[in-house]
This record gives sequence, structure tokens and C-alpha cells, in this order.
Amino acid sequence: MSKRSLRTTFAPWLRLLAQRRGRLAIGVLLLIVTVFSAVGLLTLSGWFIAASALAGMAMALGMAVAFDVYVPGGGIRFFAVSRTVARYAERLYNHDTVLRLLADLRHRLFVAMARLDDRSLARQRASDWLNRLTADIDTLDGLYLRLLAPPVVALAAIVLLAAFLALWVPMVGLAVAALLVPTWAWLTAGQAWLGMASSRRQVAHLQRLRSQAIEHLTGLAELEAYRSRDWHRQGFFEREEKLSRDQQRTAGVAGFGVALVNLMVGLGMVAALWLAAAAWQQGMISGAVMVMMPIAVLALGEVLALLPTAFTQLGASRGAAERLNEVEEVGQAGQTGQAKVSAGHAQLPTGAFSVRLRGVGLHYPGALVPALQDLDLVLAPGERLALTGASGAGKSSVAALLTRRLPPSQGEILLGDIPIGEVDEASLRERVAILGQRIDLFQDSLASNLRLAAPEATDAQLWQALAWVELADWAEALPHGLATPVGEGGRALSGGQARRLALARLWLRDPGLVILDEPFAGLDAATVARLSPRLDAWLTGRSVLYLVHQLDGGAFDPPGITREQRLQARLAERNQFSDRA
Amino acid sequence: MSHDSQVSPRRWLAAHAARQRGWLGLAALTGIAVGALTVAQMALLAWIVSRLLVDGAPLASLTSAFLMLVAVLATRALCQWGQELSGQLASLRIRHAVRAELLDHLAAMGPVRAGARHSAGLANQLVEQVEALDGYFARFLPQLRLCVAIPLLILLVVLWLDWLAALFLLLAAPLIPLFMALVGMGAERLNRDQFVAVSRLSGHFLDRVRGIATLQLFGRTHEAATEVHAAADNYRRLSMRTLRVAFLSSAVLEFFASVAIAVVAIYVGFGLLGYIEFGPAEELTLFSGLLVLLLAPEFFQPLRTLAQHYHDRAAALGAADGMLALLDEPVRPEHESAGAPPIAGRCVALEAVTLAHPGRGQVLGPLDVVVEKGDILVVTGASGAGKSALLQLLAGFVAPASGQRHAAADLRIAWMDQRPLLIHGSLAENLRLAAPQASDAELERALVHAGLAELVAALPQGIHTPLGERGSGLSGGQAQRLALARVFLSDAELVLLDEPTASLDEETEARVIESLRRLGDEGRTLVIATHHPALMAMASRRLALHEGREQTVVAAGG
Repeated sequence: MSKRSLRTTFAPWLRLLAQRRGRLAIGVLLLIVTVFSAVGLLTLSGWFIAASALAGMAMALGMAVAFDVYVPGGGIRFFAVSRTVARYAERLYNHDTVLRLLADLRHRLFVAMARLDDRSLARQRASDWLNRLTADIDTLDGLYLRLLAPPVVALAAIVLLAAFLALWVPMVGLAVAALLVPTWAWLTAGQAWLGMASSRRQVAHLQRLRSQAIEHLTGLAELEAYRSRDWHRQGFFEREEKLSRDQQRTAGVAGFGVALVNLMVGLGMVAALWLAAAAWQQGMISGAVMVMMPIAVLALGEVLALLPTAFTQLGASRGAAERLNEVEEVGQAGQTGQAKVSAGHAQLPTGAFSVRLRGVGLHYPGALVPALQDLDLVLAPGERLALTGASGAGKSSVAALLTRRLPPSQGEILLGDIPIGEVDEASLRERVAILGQRIDLFQDSLASNLRLAAPEATDAQLWQALAWVELADWAEALPHGLATPVGEGGRALSGGQARRLALARLWLRDPGLVILDEPFAGLDAATVARLSPRLDAWLTGRSVLYLVHQLDGGAFDPPGITREQRLQARLAERNQFSDRA
Repeated sequence: MSHDSQVSPRRWLAAHAARQRGWLGLAALTGIAVGALTVAQMALLAWIVSRLLVDGAPLASLTSAFLMLVAVLATRALCQWGQELSGQLASLRIRHAVRAELLDHLAAMGPVRAGARHSAGLANQLVEQVEALDGYFARFLPQLRLCVAIPLLILLVVLWLDWLAALFLLLAAPLIPLFMALVGMGAERLNRDQFVAVSRLSGHFLDRVRGIATLQLFGRTHEAATEVHAAADNYRRLSMRTLRVAFLSSAVLEFFASVAIAVVAIYVGFGLLGYIEFGPAEELTLFSGLLVLLLAPEFFQPLRTLAQHYHDRAAALGAADGMLALLDEPVRPEHESAGAPPIAGRCVALEAVTLAHPGRGQVLGPLDVVVEKGDILVVTGASGAGKSALLQLLAGFVAPASGQRHAAADLRIAWMDQRPLLIHGSLAENLRLAAPQASDAELERALVHAGLAELVAALPQGIHTPLGERGSGLSGGQAQRLALARVFLSDAELVLLDEPTASLDEETEARVIESLRRLGDEGRTLVIATHHPALMAMASRRLALHEGREQTVVAAGG
């Protein structure tokens, strides 16, 4: 992945930017007008002062001089205003563009992530992938304003100015171009090359530093008990030291670039002055034009000054693009070495339907042994099968297979006698319901969280659903009722309430197959005693697959089990341990 | 680490800056040198032009002036590089110091109070928020000094050249603080509003991404994607409203700078033409006129640069605000040694302790608990009864609100809860966290005791198998047993176990209980919070908690 060329890495994002090429072009144009005004203001002022001085000297000698002060005066005033207006318009317009790009980026990435299978998602939840992802998006939304527009504007400014100077004295134009075009190339490509490694590493260091911080913070109890806090802290600071070294290097390279801009622009000014003076002494140009030339070159400094810092950090943008590309590729191709989840157009039957797994195997890429091997499982319509097994035995894998969130490596899965790969996506989502271990609640109202399951449900139905899980009294007592926000990730709710809300979500649907992973986990005995018969009644006429550690015959066992099948954890141990570091 | 809550973010940042006075001073000094050399460069340029045009000097006679100009340019470039490097160095050192301060404080707060905060949020403060201080120290602070020094220097030069032109600049000068305030206010409000909007937006996005599996299962990803775009677009409309105003303040600055250049140019031009017949205008020469013009933009440049870095300041103040809030959190009293040492034969004792959590009121006590050496004390009670709180008090992770904890200062403890710490490193490194000096053989023995030996033996790299970030690769039960192996490895006298068998399956549970029994047999003192009947059966004493109070003490049954 890291061997890819810069161009292929950035290509998808440049294509995304290209969708707004009209806006980008206008933005660049506004930038050019701003630069033109700034250069024009100084250049014209320089010319005006020199011309006035020469005219004044001539007048002092008693010569008759016709000198129009109004045109250049008006020009100076015009540039003063246009510089201000163009800058304001440019900033506003380009920031609007950047924010539009941000929306595009987020949308695109979200669509890509929605295609990820269960395993990719689970793995990414484990790390601080999410935070990195948002940071990466923020890095890329600046692509245009930091890395695309400034070099274009700078090059345009150099070429236009050189051409303008060449109109008067070709040598001056040539010398300025000869000095500043290579400088421009260095400030972009050269700075990027010098800073690439360290700026790219910086992102990785920051990420590790963050994980180490999280380790430290979540492990404070153990670290304090075992008196190893200082030892762990030392590791944290060693990482910080590595980060510092790279930051220092990057800053050194960027600083070099900034200094170089001023040096080269200054040398361009010197060259222009020398050559223009020579041309003036040969009578090719007037004295005022001679003065104008070096001043015009000096005004270019501002345009080039943006380049070195942005390009020294190119490695960071590249890393961001690479990581986001990875998400897209995984989403499109499925896990490497694994078939992609496919979908067809067959509709699942109404009512309870059968489930059949025949010789199903599931082998995660890179794992030593398969997660599931040669699994046969039959669930008749309306039957309630309890699939038991130790943690890591593969119960969740079975759930992921049945909800088509992972493709099997071998064997076939039939839902209502239809191969799962041929079932229509919408039909599958409607007819197969699952209550997993993890309950996702969204930062939204209670009602929206319930309506996720049934977008068309009326308020009355929502209340009914809440009553069914004994949350109606609680919800009625809330000042905002159904409109109460549940907080980030449902934080305003207790674990038990969240679980019951998820059950309510289930109730709002009418699935033919229900997969329940430890349905009563986190609930107290009294609640379970009241909910269990209701669940039992609701499950009548549906095929049910319970996933449980073990059955103990107590109140926490799910209701109405007709059969138990045990998954062997024998292989899973080693399998879980494969080296994924 | 004493922090009175009166410290303002600004003062706190200033105190950190003061500790890096040297490098920050160097950054400012080289910055001033850059300014002075810029003046020299412009003066040389004007002088060469004047010699050529006014005095008619041949180009060849000016070679030395040209060389001097090149030398000035080169020196200026060096100074500029030095400015960037010293600013960065100061910033790096300050960021390190800030991290150390935060970690010290978190350690002093203790695992309970520090752990009550969201670990990802704290990590964000320790890493990203500290990074957010960079621009303030590396760029903004040095630039703030240049903002005063360089315009002053230029003003003096212009005053010497032409006092009327200097007056124009001087007239603009009182406006400078006004500009700064304008820019500052704009930037600060911008930043504040942005910050709220950004966090709301990224909250929305993260929230939807986190729940993407659920959205997939409900078949609602398409709608959610549309929502994500709409939320981002809404955020754009909101921000643009702010930006329209915020950019105005810098536009004003830009306008005054442009107007000053234009006014100076026209004044000088007319003066040179002899149209202005008062003041110093008549004495204007091409040299002085040109130099004044060239210096006019430089007069405003430091301020414009400062305006560009103003968001660095706002970002740093925002970050500092959050850090100070953390630093204001109360710490545990210096050490438990305040309480009298325990009576011989006792491991740890709590005397009339209570514990309160902010927002939840009193969660425990008043309670008296004595743990004798060799005890196996089992703590039971419904969830929320205060079992974990009691264990934390016994460990000294939190100070009681009232009452006393008596324990020897050198009491070695081992701790295990439901979320064991897994560090990025090999299995061996994860174990050595409890005993850095342990030999491989000792590690193997601990693994046998914890029931992990077969598993590790099956791994090609054995105990040197690396664990992924946060233990990816380990199942919950395996992680639990790894933590147990740590307990065996440590020579801790008092072992505190918070629900050691929760979320384990039958087989694993049985193995863990077997291991715990072995721990007891080794003569260690165990305190176990649990519901599990098999563990309760191990107890030499039992303590039942109900709503933070002791319900009954049942003498050991067996």
C-alpha cells in the first residue's frame, strides 16, 4: 500500500474535488485577482514614485514636463480597494468550497463504510480508528486550499510577472523565470520530498501516543497496584520523544523552505535590478520602469510563502488519503482472500421460515485455524434453537453469517430454502431481526431511535412498544417524553434501559427469523420475570435462534427453547490468538 | 501540584512560556533581526536606485552595494530559519512539560477519580489538545513581540526620512490595537462558534459511524448517508454566517494596509513633483521617498502575520481551558500514612469510612471493615451496592470522604477487575507489568496457575507473541486469565478482585475459580467482590452490602 505512487493515492480524492471544478476554478481566479492587485499596488506605486522623482528633477532643471498624475493615482487607489475586496471575496468563497468538500468527503466515506462487513467493522471499532478517520477527513478537506490552489496561483503569478517584465526587457523576464520557476518546483516537490518521511511518521506516532495514553488511563488501577505507573509513563514519553524528533525535523524543513522563499525572491529582485539598470543605461527603458521591476519581483514573496509549510506536510495528507483509500477498498472488495457478500432479488417468505447451514466454514484471513468448521445446523420454521458455547466458540460468527454481514468461506446457507446470497437486501433486513450484545443507540430522540426499526410507526405504536418492555412509565415521566434525547451512544440511559429499548425496537418489527444474543443480559431478575412471558408470546410463530453461553435452567434462560446445539470452542482459542498485531 | 482555581488559561500558558524564556526569546530576537535586515535590504535597494537615477553612477561602481544586498538577503534567510527552529524547540519542550503536568495530576487523582472521566476524552487532552498548543508557542507568542518591535523600528526609520510620512503611519498606529482587538474578537467568536458546531457535527458523524452495524441490520444506511451529508451541509451554512463577519475584521486590516501604501505612494509622488509645499515634502528625494514606500507594507506585515496566527491563540486558550478544568480536580490527600499504621496481623482496615461520588451522593458507608492477613473476604451485594467502591477504598485508589484507611505504607497489592489492562506489546511484557524483574520461567509458572499455559504453548512465538492494540487477539476470558497470571506473578500480599468471573463461560470460570483457590492456598489475603456461588463458598468471611452499608456478616461456612 505504501509503495503506491502519490498520484494513485490521491486520485480518488482529486476526482471527488473535480466534481466541483467550477467552484475550484473560480476560487483560483479570485486568488489570482488578489495577488494581481497586491503586486499591482506595489509595482505601480514604485513606478509612480520614480517617475515623479524624475519629472520633479527635470522640472527643477527648468524643463517642460507633461506628467499625468491622475491615471497612476487612480490606479493606485483602484488596486488598494481591489486587493481588499478580492481577498475578502476569495476567503469567503474558498472557505465555502472547503466546507462543501467536507460534506462530500463525509458522505462518500460513510457510504464506503456502510459496505464494510462485520469483521472489518469490529476490528476497526477496537482501535481508535474512528478518531483517526475524522482527523483524516479534516486533513483531506484542506487538499484544495493548501495543496492545489496555492501552487497553481504561485506558478501563474511567476509566469505572468516574468512575461510582463519580458515585455520591457526580455532578459529580466527570463532571469526572474529562471530563478523563481525552479524555486517554485523546489518549494513544492523538493519540500514534499524532504518532509515526506517525517511528516508521514508523525501521524503514526501521534496515533500510537494516543493508544498509549488510553492504555495508561484505563490501566491506572493496575499500574498503581503493581507500582508500574512510572514504567508505563516512561514508554509514553519515549514515544513522545520520537514524535518530537520528527516534528522538529519537519519544522526544520519547513523553516528552510520559508527562508528559501525570501532568499530567492530577494535574489530575483537583485537580478532584476541589475539587468534593468543595465537596460536603462543602454536607453532601452525609462528610469521609472527600471525601479518598477525589482519592486514587482519583491511583491511575489507573499504568494510563494504559503507553499513550503503546506508541502512539507504532504506526507501527512498522503497518509490520510491512504487510510481512507483502504476503507473504500475493503468496502468494495471485501476482506482480502474472502468472497464478497452478495445479494440477489429473491423475497423471503412471510411467517416463520426455516434456516439451514450445510458444511459451513468461516476462515478469517490471517487466522491459523477457522472460526467455524463444517457446521451443520437446521432450524425448522417456528422452532427455537439455543446455540450454546463458550466465548469465542463462534456464536457471533453464526449470527453475522445469518444476517449476511460476513460471507461463509465454505458451505451453504439457506433461509426459507433460498440461498442467502440470492435474497433481496430489503427483504433480508425486514425478515431477519437480531438483538446483539452491542446495543447502538443514536444521539437522537427516543422516538427516532425506535423508528429506526419501523420508520412508519405512529407515536401510539411507539408507546405500545415501550409499554411492552416496561419503559412506558419511565418515558412518560420524562419532561420531553418521546422527544427526549438519549445522549451520545445512549449515554443518558442505563445499560438495562438500553437493552429494553433494543427489545422494543425488535417488537416494532415483524421478522420471520429472530436471533437473540443473551436477550436478558444486564437486566435484573424481576424485570426478566415480567419480560420473559411477553417475549415468549411475541416469538410465537417465528423461527428463533438464541445465542447463549450456557443454559442453567434458571429464570435468565430465554423462553420456550425446543432444542439445544453446542458449538465447540476447541479450535477457537488458538484461532483468536493469531498474530494480528 | 497546587492549583488554585483562579488561574486563568492565559496565565497558565504564560507560566509555561516563562519556563522556556530562552528559546522563545531567541525566536523573538531572530525575528527582530529579520525585521532589521528587511529594513537594510530596502534601504540598499532605494540607495542603489537613487545612485543610478539621481547621481547617474555607472552600474559597475555599485557592485559592492549589490554584493552587500546579497549578503543581507542571505543573513536574513538564516535568521528566519533560526526563528522557526527556536520557536518550534520552545513549543516542543513546553508540550512535554504540559503532558508531564497532566500525567502527574491524573496519578495524584487516583484511578477512581481519573477513571470516572471518559478515557478517550482524557487521551485526547493528553495528545491532541496538547498538540493544539503548538501554534501558540511556536508562532503566536514570538510574533506578538515582533508586532511591537518591528513597526516601532520602521516608524523610527521613516521618522528620520520624512516626518510627515511617519505621521501617516503613526496615525495608523493607534488603529493597530483597534485592529488587533477587532481581529481578535472576530477570531475568538469564530473559534468558539466553530468549536461548538464542529463538535456537534463530528458528534453526529461519529455517532452514525459507531452504529453503522445497527444501521446495516435495519437496512437504513442509505438514509443515514443522506443525513450525514445534510448535517455537514447545515454546518456549512451555519459557519458561513459566522465567517462572513469574522473575515470582515481581517479585511479591515487589509484595507488599512493597502490604503496606507496608497497614501504614502501618492504623498511621496506629489512631494517629489513639488506639488506639496509644506513640511518635509520639499526635501523628499528619490531615496527617501522610495524607502518610505518600500517600508510601508513592512510596517503592517507583522500584524497581518499575527492575524493569521490568531486562531492558534484561540485554539490554545480553548485547550488550556479544558486542561485547567482537569488540573482543578481534587487530588487524593498526600498519602494514607495519615491514618495510624494497622495493628499487627491486619492487612488493611477501614474505620467509619464513607465515600461519595459527585452527582450520585454517598455511595458507601459509614462502614468498618478489617481485613486480617490470610483472610478470604467475599463481598456480595446487588449491583450498585458499593462492592467496587469498597474494593477501591481498600486499595487506596480513592480517599474516603470521611473516616480512615489504615494500611502499611509498603503494602503490596494486586488488582484485577473486569477490564484488565492490555498493553501493546508481547504477552511477556504484559505479564512483566506486574513484576519487571520476573524470569521467563516465572512467567511460565504464572501462566500455568492462571490456566493459560496450554494456550500459550500452542502459539508459535509463545510468550513473545505480540498482542495487538488494546489486546486485540485475546478473547475476554483470555484477557481475564492474563490479568490473573499477573496476580500470581506479583508478590502482592493483598489481592483485590472485582467480579473476577463475570462474563466468563462455564469452563473458563471453573479454571479461574480453581486458580483463585490456589492463590488462597499460597497464603495471600484475598478480597473478592462476586455473585458467584463457588467463589462465595471459598470465603473465610463474607460481607454483604446493601445500598452502601453492611447488611450482615456471615462467618465462614466452608
